[in-house]
Order: sequence, then C-alpha cells, then structure tokens
Amino acid sequence: MDAPTAFNATKPTVETKEKVDYFNLPCPIPYEEMHREALISLKPEVFEGMRFDFTKGLNQKFALSHSVFMGPTEIPSQSSETIKIPTAHYEFGANYLDPKLMLFGRVLTDGRVNARVKCDLSDNLTLKANAQLTSEPHMSHCMVNFDYKGKDYRSQFQLGNGALFGANYIQSVTPNLSLGGEVFWAGQHRKSGVGYAARYSTDKMVATGQVASTGIVALSYVQKVSEKCRLRGKIDSNGCVTAFLEERLNMGLNFILSAEVDHRKKDYKFGFGLTVGE
Amino acid sequence: MASKGVSLKVKGKSSASKSKGSSSSSSSDEKSMCKALKDWSNWGLKKAKVIAHYGFIPLVIIIGMNSEPKPSLSQLLSPV
Repeated sequence: MDAPTAFNATKPTVETKEKVDYFNLPCPIPYEEMHREALISLKPEVFEGMRFDFTKGLNQKFALSHSVFMGPTEIPSQSSETIKIPTAHYEFGANYLDPKLMLFGRVLTDGRVNARVKCDLSDNLTLKANAQLTSEPHMSHCMVNFDYKGKDYRSQFQLGNGALFGANYIQSVTPNLSLGGEVFWAGQHRKSGVGYAARYSTDKMVATGQVASTGIVALSYVQKVSEKCRLRGKIDSNGCVTAFLEERLNMGLNFILSAEVDHRKKDYKFGFGLTVGE
Repeated sequence: MASKGVSLKVKGKSSASKSKGSSSSSSSDEKSMCKALKDWSNWGLKKAKVIAHYGFIPLVIIIGMNSEPKPSLSQLLSPV
C-alpha cells in the first residue's frame, strides 16, 4: 500500500520543465544540411527515361556499382521551348566505406569522373573532397572542405578551384535552436558573400531560415506526420507538379517511379527505374 | 589558363616591380622566382588532375581488394 505512494512522491510532476543545461548542448547539424528535411521531401531525384542501378557488394566495406540510363537530357535553349536530346550512358562505380575513410568514385562512358573522399583525420577534424573531372580543359571542378566539430558547434573551411574560399560556423544556442553564418569569396568571378541561417527543431517539426547576400532567402517548415513515407509529391509556384515513389519490392530490390509535369512550359517528364543491391 | 587567386596576385606584384624601373638584381630575382613558382604550381596541378582523373577509381579498387575479408578477382569481374 505504501510502496506506490512512495514511488509517486519521487517522480517529478509533469509541469516542471527540465532545467536547460547550457554547457551541455547537443552538437548542431552541419551548415550545409540545414535544409535537409525540407530537401528530402521537396527535392526528390526526379529523372526522365529509364534507369537501372545494380550494386554488388564484394565485402562489408567494398562495393561495385553498374548503372544504365537511357533518356532525353535537356539542353539550354534560347527559345521558350525545351530541347531534349536522347542520350544513353553506362556508369561504373566503386565505393569503399570504412568508419574512418570513405571513397566514392563514378566514371561515365564519356570519360567524366565523379570522385568523393571523406576522411576522419582525428576525432573532431574531417576532410571532405568532391571533384568532377572531365577530359575537356577548364571544365573540371574540385572542392575540399575541412570540418571541425566542437562540443556544441561546428566550423568548416572550404577551398575550391578557381580561387574559391568559404567558411561557415554554426552553434547550438538552446537544445532546439541553432544559429550559423557563412562567408565566401570567389576569385574567378570576383564575388564575395555573407550569409546567416537559423534552425529550430523539435520532435515534431523543423523550421529553418537562411539569408545570403547573393540574394537568397530560403525559409522552410517541415512537420512530421507519420513515421513512414513512401510517396513524395510537390506543387510549385512555377506551375510544376512532381511525384516520386520509391517502393521496396523485395530485399535489395527497389522500384522507382518519377513524374514531373510542368504546365507552364508544357514539359512532361516520366521516368521509371529499378535499383538492385543494398 | 585556370586563373587562381595566387597567380593573379603574383602577376600584379611582378608588373608593379617591372614598372618601378629600377632593375636591381634583387627585384629581378624575385620576379623570376615568383614566375618559376607560378609555373611549377600550375604544372603540378595539371599533373595532379590527370593522375586523379585516371587513377582514382583504380585506387579505390586496390584499397577495396586489400581490405579484410579479401575478395577474389573473380568476384570483381563477374556480374553476379
């Protein structure tokens, strides 16, 4: 009889909030992933044509992938109509995934190489590099990032080809709110810019805002409605309706359907594909 | 030419020293050293780009084939 009342007395009441320990805030989300929830639902990888991906794992860390794509690709045109050229390409890729080192390489039939490297130099310092290399001169791009993760902040320094320098910093201010800023300088185009961002997240929703001196203002709000979500749809202010469905048919077999209808430009894109492998 | 911030700054420095008129040995040495440094760094970057372009995927494959447990060559080449 006494035991339940004693137990109730030691439990704190629901109304008292836990005191915020400002010296123990969680580490914030990296600056470039600020809009992650919004982008996952609003920017699915829509494509037009047929796509087939096959990933073969050779061991726990190493995998090869083969990908075939057949479909029209758009080329920029002066008139209002979109010009599409049918293309087909095969892409071979190799991935190596280690807790400390990640290597990701893709090579296409036209000789373009897409390479990504992520290396943990120490517990808190990470080196990331991203490069698109082509045989044509002056068309290759490369970007190297150094990330430092502190207890409740993250800072990043970026170097790119064409004398591109950037730095950003984000700090947790309360358990739900994090604020950050960035600066960049592009030597080739003689441009520089400053930007600020804020992210407020709880268990049920995420709201982010970002402004930059390049003229970007981005605000997003995502509300978690249910745990699983397989169909993603979006309507745009440009008159564009998009739907993307990713269905798991079997272990290691994914079926993808993508549709984009642009009413203003009268451009309709439908794609289907299959992904095999983990 | 792939113009980088460093190369533009060095060009400005060398043209400023040229316009000074005083062709003392120290300034001409500095000019040629800057030019040599710029040429060497450009040459190095070009070679690094070609090496990365052709060698990155073979590098990933070599690292992967040497990781534990070692996969066999037949697994690499067969489509299944």
